[in-house]
Amino acid sequence: MTKASIVVPAFNVSSTIARTLTSLLNQEFADFEIVIVDDGCIDDTLDVVAPFRADPRVRVVAQPNRGLAGARNTGIASAKGDYIGFCDADDLWLPSKLGAHVAHLDANPHIGVSFSGSELIDENDVRLATKQTPQLTDITAADILRRNPIGNGSAPVIRRAVFDDIAFVTSADTDRASFFDETFRQSEDIECWMRIALMTDWGFEGVAGHLTQYRICDGALSSATDRQLASWERMITKLEPMAPTFFATHAPAARAYQYRYLCRRAISNADAPAARSYLTASLRASVAPILHEPVKSIVTFAATGVLSALGQNRFRQAIGTLKSRAHSA
Amino acid sequence: MTEFRIVHLIDDTTAGGVMRVLDYIKSNRQMNATATHEVVEMPRSRFSLRRIQADVIVSHLSISWKSLSTLVALRAAHADLPLLHVEHSYTQAFTALNVPHPKRFGALLRTAYALFDRVIAVSHAQGKWLTSRGLVSQHALRVIPSCVDLSPLFDITPVAGPAQTFGLIGRAHEQKGFDIAIRAFMATADADLRLRVFGEGGETDALRALCAGDSRITFHGHVDPTAAYSSVDAVLMPSRWEAFGLVALEARAAGRPIYCSRVDGLLDQIQHGAIGVQDQSLTAWSRVIRAASTTIPVGLESTRDAVSRSDSAFAASWSMLLDELFAHESQEVFC
Repeated sequence: MTKASIVVPAFNVSSTIARTLTSLLNQEFADFEIVIVDDGCIDDTLDVVAPFRADPRVRVVAQPNRGLAGARNTGIASAKGDYIGFCDADDLWLPSKLGAHVAHLDANPHIGVSFSGSELIDENDVRLATKQTPQLTDITAADILRRNPIGNGSAPVIRRAVFDDIAFVTSADTDRASFFDETFRQSEDIECWMRIALMTDWGFEGVAGHLTQYRICDGALSSATDRQLASWERMITKLEPMAPTFFATHAPAARAYQYRYLCRRAISNADAPAARSYLTASLRASVAPILHEPVKSIVTFAATGVLSALGQNRFRQAIGTLKSRAHSA
Repeated sequence: MTEFRIVHLIDDTTAGGVMRVLDYIKSNRQMNATATHEVVEMPRSRFSLRRIQADVIVSHLSISWKSLSTLVALRAAHADLPLLHVEHSYTQAFTALNVPHPKRFGALLRTAYALFDRVIAVSHAQGKWLTSRGLVSQHALRVIPSCVDLSPLFDITPVAGPAQTFGLIGRAHEQKGFDIAIRAFMATADADLRLRVFGEGGETDALRALCAGDSRITFHGHVDPTAAYSSVDAVLMPSRWEAFGLVALEARAAGRPIYCSRVDGLLDQIQHGAIGVQDQSLTAWSRVIRAASTTIPVGLESTRDAVSRSDSAFAASWSMLLDELFAHESQEVFC
């Protein structure tokens, strides 16, 4: 029996998947399989993958394109391991990652979802200054909704039994079990984590360290802001009937964090009107971020102000100057 | 086998489902052939070392930190008797939605269950949860799905066409998720559809307020189950947690299609003919209501046949359990 399966959804990722697979095959803990889900690739991803198949631990499962959630569902269905990790085909795992999660899950039978912090990297694998350093222990459903400590889709390693407990069948696909909701093209992670939190008694807990390298590509993020917000709200609408009191209590704060995040992204795109409107929306939703994370909230405030005062071009220049100074220092 | 005296302990006579199961045990001919069953009310959290005259004691008590000392005393006063516990309440989904500290709650359950010779789960899904979390050891767990007197329901003619009148049957409590079905029903536009809500509970007023203005939805309070099931074409059961799911069993017996959420004991019901709804979203439930109102239900007769076997299976499981306990005891005596 394989201890762990790592599911790698792949859709036209020929430029990054080799680095992803290399990082996975370099894991110090060796008892695992890699399930690459070819999600209807139309580029040369499969050619890039071919040499990796020499390792008997690497398998490829092919399907017509279904999207990330659908590829993960196929990967889970085909996985043989007791523990299932996910690594998107542009992210990397540090060599100690799988071993850390296996030890964590082995030692804590009540934990279902084991995750870690992440470093952010750019398209050339260069580490960015920001890291995802989430809360690791005493995690409640409210914490997951507000701050999503799991962080990104390449961070968790999850007990197979957790997926058995949340499996569902859709009317469109009656002979296939679903775990992630394939109608979501964004927020599919948080939607799944929230269902685990609201339907099961499995615990969420993190291990120390930044064991995932999560790739941020400039262009990828900026365009989809409104769609991201819409899918996040759809997640709330979908799950609210499960626990109306819970959502009435915690959704406003979660929404405020969501808007603050979008405001910060608008700031990095030097989009002053968007930053101002997200900031206002955040404050309207709840003051929870100011109470719980005052520094980050005040910095967001200040940056929105500076961006509005300087205008897009001068703001970009100023950031450029700051960055080059930091670089030369 | 000599006649046993089996005493069933309860602490909550208002829990409708549990009382009906006990009424059934007391009146079931097969079960009373080899043993007498008596129900004794035991007030919550009363510490007593007074001995109960019985050959077997079956607890239907609710477990809490407060009641733990009562259970310890019960064990101490009857160290020589087989002591069983039927878990009517706790499930995985219950824990997810109601327990702020699952680890501490797990410690409570483990401690309490360890006082009993056997712990009886009322569904396979619940049993799997109890053993997979290490709350009950595999050798101490038995699964005996609950049963009530279903005979009057077998006389109802099964429905033969698409559903026009839907029913929500049971206690109006957050657990039952009636709000989900009502909101989903209100989102359907068909003026010919009806939703009847049977039963009372703490949430009744809130539910009435929720559907103010939608005259298609009516409230009927407590009525005889036969009358309730006869008056609807399909039953909705959007429970948020459910150890067993008596309404699903009854609906199957009454030849009504039953649509239920995929939680806990209802997973067993889905295996036996109940229809699992994808999730608890309003979209999913509205879709199910619309589909049920246009399609002819299938397989209701075979579902009903399967239910008719529950009756004898229930009595047989209990008698097997008793045999096993006493076979085990006599072995110990002879060793």
